[in-house]
Amino acid sequence: MKISRRVPAWRVAAIVLGFLAASPFAAIAQQKTLPAEAAADPILRALQAELTRSKSQLKMDNVDSPFYIEYRVFDVEQFDASAAFGALRDQNRTRLRLIRAVVRLGDYKLDSFFNAGQGISDILPLDNDELAIRHTVWLATDQAYKRASEAFSNKKAQLKQLNIEQPVDDFAKADPVISIGPLAKLDFDPAKFSKMLESATSVYRNDPQIQSVSANLNFTVLSEYFVNTEGTVTRHGSAHYQMALSASEQAPDGMRLERSPQFTAVRLDELPTPEEFQKDAVKLVADMKTLREAPVVDEEYRGPVLFSNDASTDMFFELIVPNVLGRRPAPGRPARTVGAFASSWKARVLPDFISVVDDPTLDTFSGHGLGGSYQVDDEGVPAAPISVVDKGILVNYLIGRVPIRDFPVSNGHGRASGSGNTAPAPGNLFFRASKTSTRGELKKQLLDECRTRGLKYGYYVDTLGPRLAPRMLYRVWTDDGHEELVRGAVFNELDIRALRSDLVAAGDDPLVSNRTGLPFMTIVSPSVLFDELEVKRADNTKEKLPDYPAPALAAGRN
Amino acid sequence: MKRFRLSISPLFLAIFAASGILAWSAPRAEKGDGILLSTMQTELERAKTSLAKSDPAPYFLSYEVYDQRTLMVAGAYGTIVTSAMGNHRWADVTMRVGSPAMDNTHNENRDSGISSGALPLADDRDAIARSLWELTDREYRRATPAYAKVMTNNSVQAAEEDKSPDFSEEAAQAHVEAPPAPVAFHQKEWEEKIRKYSALFRKYPEVYSSTVTLQVEQTTSYFVSSEGSKVETPGLVARLVVEADTRADDGMDLVRVETFESTNPEGLPSETELVAKEEKMASDLKALREAPLAEPFDGPALLSGRAAAVFFHEVLGHRLEGHRQRGETEGQTFTKKVNQPVLPAFLSVYDDPTLESINGVPLSGTYSHDDEGVPSQRVPLIQDGILKNFLMSRMPITNFSKSNGHGRHQAGFMPTGRQGNLIVESTKTVKDSDMRAQLIDEVKKQGKPYGLYFEDVQGGFTLTTRELPQAFQVLPVIVWRVYPDGRPDQLVRGVDIVGTPLASLNRILFTGDKTEVFNGICGAESGSVPVSASAPAMLFSEMEVQKRSASRERPPILPPPGFEETSGGSAPASPAGGAR
Repeated sequence: MKISRRVPAWRVAAIVLGFLAASPFAAIAQQKTLPAEAAADPILRALQAELTRSKSQLKMDNVDSPFYIEYRVFDVEQFDASAAFGALRDQNRTRLRLIRAVVRLGDYKLDSFFNAGQGISDILPLDNDELAIRHTVWLATDQAYKRASEAFSNKKAQLKQLNIEQPVDDFAKADPVISIGPLAKLDFDPAKFSKMLESATSVYRNDPQIQSVSANLNFTVLSEYFVNTEGTVTRHGSAHYQMALSASEQAPDGMRLERSPQFTAVRLDELPTPEEFQKDAVKLVADMKTLREAPVVDEEYRGPVLFSNDASTDMFFELIVPNVLGRRPAPGRPARTVGAFASSWKARVLPDFISVVDDPTLDTFSGHGLGGSYQVDDEGVPAAPISVVDKGILVNYLIGRVPIRDFPVSNGHGRASGSGNTAPAPGNLFFRASKTSTRGELKKQLLDECRTRGLKYGYYVDTLGPRLAPRMLYRVWTDDGHEELVRGAVFNELDIRALRSDLVAAGDDPLVSNRTGLPFMTIVSPSVLFDELEVKRADNTKEKLPDYPAPALAAGRN
Repeated sequence: MKRFRLSISPLFLAIFAASGILAWSAPRAEKGDGILLSTMQTELERAKTSLAKSDPAPYFLSYEVYDQRTLMVAGAYGTIVTSAMGNHRWADVTMRVGSPAMDNTHNENRDSGISSGALPLADDRDAIARSLWELTDREYRRATPAYAKVMTNNSVQAAEEDKSPDFSEEAAQAHVEAPPAPVAFHQKEWEEKIRKYSALFRKYPEVYSSTVTLQVEQTTSYFVSSEGSKVETPGLVARLVVEADTRADDGMDLVRVETFESTNPEGLPSETELVAKEEKMASDLKALREAPLAEPFDGPALLSGRAAAVFFHEVLGHRLEGHRQRGETEGQTFTKKVNQPVLPAFLSVYDDPTLESINGVPLSGTYSHDDEGVPSQRVPLIQDGILKNFLMSRMPITNFSKSNGHGRHQAGFMPTGRQGNLIVESTKTVKDSDMRAQLIDEVKKQGKPYGLYFEDVQGGFTLTTRELPQAFQVLPVIVWRVYPDGRPDQLVRGVDIVGTPLASLNRILFTGDKTEVFNGICGAESGSVPVSASAPAMLFSEMEVQKRSASRERPPILPPPGFEETSGGSAPASPAGGAR
């Protein structure tokens, strides 16, 4: 979550845990008029009062009145806890209410949304006191207007220096929308979850060689409010529940080995049960033992590599997501957007058997809750399914209300990650294959390809770590098909070119991967097979092993 | 270029409190402290014995653990903005590799001496031991390469001017004060109070924003070292900070801050007392908005005790911190002035962390042992104007080989010599009530149009490095022009005191007879630490002031919500359309 520099990151803890529960995922219908419930909402009332007043009265000499004002309130309630070695280290319950006020001068064609003129954030009172809320909104609006006026002069001066061949509007028009959904509340038993973390991290007692075992959780519930001078009023709630395990150790040669499996759900009941979480922790420690005893990869390998569905969601997230967002380049730059696909519109970016669709309107996929679901985006634009890549061809960028060349209107992807600016981001991004294979068929295809090339083994990557480095990587031997865990590998040139040219097959096993952090988003993708990828030994320095052993356990091993 | 910003300001409290790590947690187990301290000792012994066989071996190792409970409630405009209770345990592992003559912390490698992290909240012996082992292992991996670097630099670089060792020898300390029972926080009651206290500003449209923040911290610190020290010290502090601001028509931001501090929440001011202060803040702000801008001025000035205290903290206190005397980038204003006069002979200055209050006002910089486990002591710094001593941590300097209990830090930083309770005493005094008349005499004597009276300050900062001007700044908030011709005093705004340290200190003519206290948070290389500074009012023959730089952003265009329909055109906020 990002908040402005002016505002300290206050961490708020509440002790009253008995909040009312309401499902944030009830269907959100679009309404024509403001329902009575919304008309009585003290936050919406306060925002509307300041919006009306500012729209009609905000004016400085020699400066235009605003043509557009918006307010976004971001009421975030969080529960965080972490444990290590069987004991809790941290447990916080925080609540913070933030506002972003955006004031635009000029018109849709050329406006003041530039540098410091992009809005002001501040902390709002937690109490539903209309006058107190209005007071903060009043100051934020005033400041936003003054900053906008300065930014507008600077922007116009800068534009005079540039020769812009294909001008694009600064701000897209959008129809007013009224959409009032239920708010979300955090309702759970913190003791149960703290106990889960403590119990799971006590598995360090199983293995004297493991150096660190920790676990953490983050439950985030958001209530977002949005109003603008075009008449849009939206209110909706969403939730995200995340738990993670993490372990770290060194192999006998000093190589640092880490794993951090995590679980993210949109409903509490989709999180692992205490028994399942415990089992995962036990398995994690056992895997870590196998890993540190595993052989180091050969210096270089060039050949087929099979990615599990879990690994492929991470890979697509890193390689595709940043490149399909319609992000406007700096003024005067002729590119359509920012990113590697800036000039790839209507060109092939993936093999022809893969299509990519973003659909924030879906709540579930095969019974799994989708984290990136929403009906109206954070700029008040309704969501709809958007075809991004059709049979390998890039057909659309995901875009908000800041137009780019050839994409003059929003397709409902202006998303906020706190009280900062909105920016284009996917909701639920689906990678779909027109031809699919079973896991068995994919493995057979991997081995056949190896045999054709005279390779003794191929690679299967089960999980990836940061920077797409494999964490659980297996050699799959052609002679008997057995899988052997190895360590210390990195991919060379795992990039968009490899995705376009070397992807040859996809599985029938799409996995829902709810991403951590804001804005909430989800990647759904199956296993995929590359017919050629380079796997090489990581060039990492190896640390020394600890100079003295970990303390003996007073309470005994498990 | 290295640059330190040193400040003493209650404003920092709010930010400090806000960025602190506040955790909420189940109450800790009974009789738990025995487990924490004994586990620290066992693990320290084990590390010391085990690492003795390594090459290079540490010659010093210490563990310091802070066990902290906190409450913070902040409100604005009659509402709660944030409210949090927390429970937190933090460990600093300090290690020195090499020898006291030269170790891994030498010069710019000082940070290699410390590694920090969170500890379990519960008294789980295995988990505490394991966490300390992890931190110790991490610290050893930091300290050893740093030591190798120090040795290499030492053989290739020219000899340093100050050849003092890196670490002083000190006696081991044993001091265990059992922590008191956890103080009741009464969060809900405080939320109600903060709502009430912050609501007062609702009736003042010219106060644009305001906050009232309560902060209570109960901390027990545990220290064990390989030298055999074992120190356990409890602490409790409660602070209430009220901040309100406005903006003048020309764009100058104007701030008033009041801080109240006590050794327990019950000792904070009553509602009546607080409301009176808030009313005064609001009327000060209103007066300041309308006050004329100060002009650059060089002439006689009277500083209230609080203003003089901040002046001494910035101008003198920071320059007497021991480590600055050997830092090769430091200006070293006083390094070679030991036993020489640096102040008028009627002034003496000492720092006394053992003192708990002055005239009934509790002092923020009080502690029994510093953060290197050395007992605190009263240190005469300047006697009858003659420089005698520095504020010493365990980093020796030429002619000062021992700590005098001033090695202080914020958790996670290496300690350096810092101020605790800085106290200025005078033998040349006049009654406080006569000071104004004395100022007028001085103005007449110098033939100046007016003198300045600095009634209150919000803090200041100073630069002590060589590359930058040896400047300091004190940030006054309430300053009056005092005229010699009987005209009433005139409030001015936008005044900053500037100047060079040695010159300005010798322009003090005499002082008042009452000591005033300024409590605040002081930030420097070793982090933020609570300090106090106390001094009598002082008359300066000459004081240089400059105009404060200010933004040109106008006051809000529209009146505040709730004041839109005020009749008669006397809009309570700025004139509408206050435009350019």
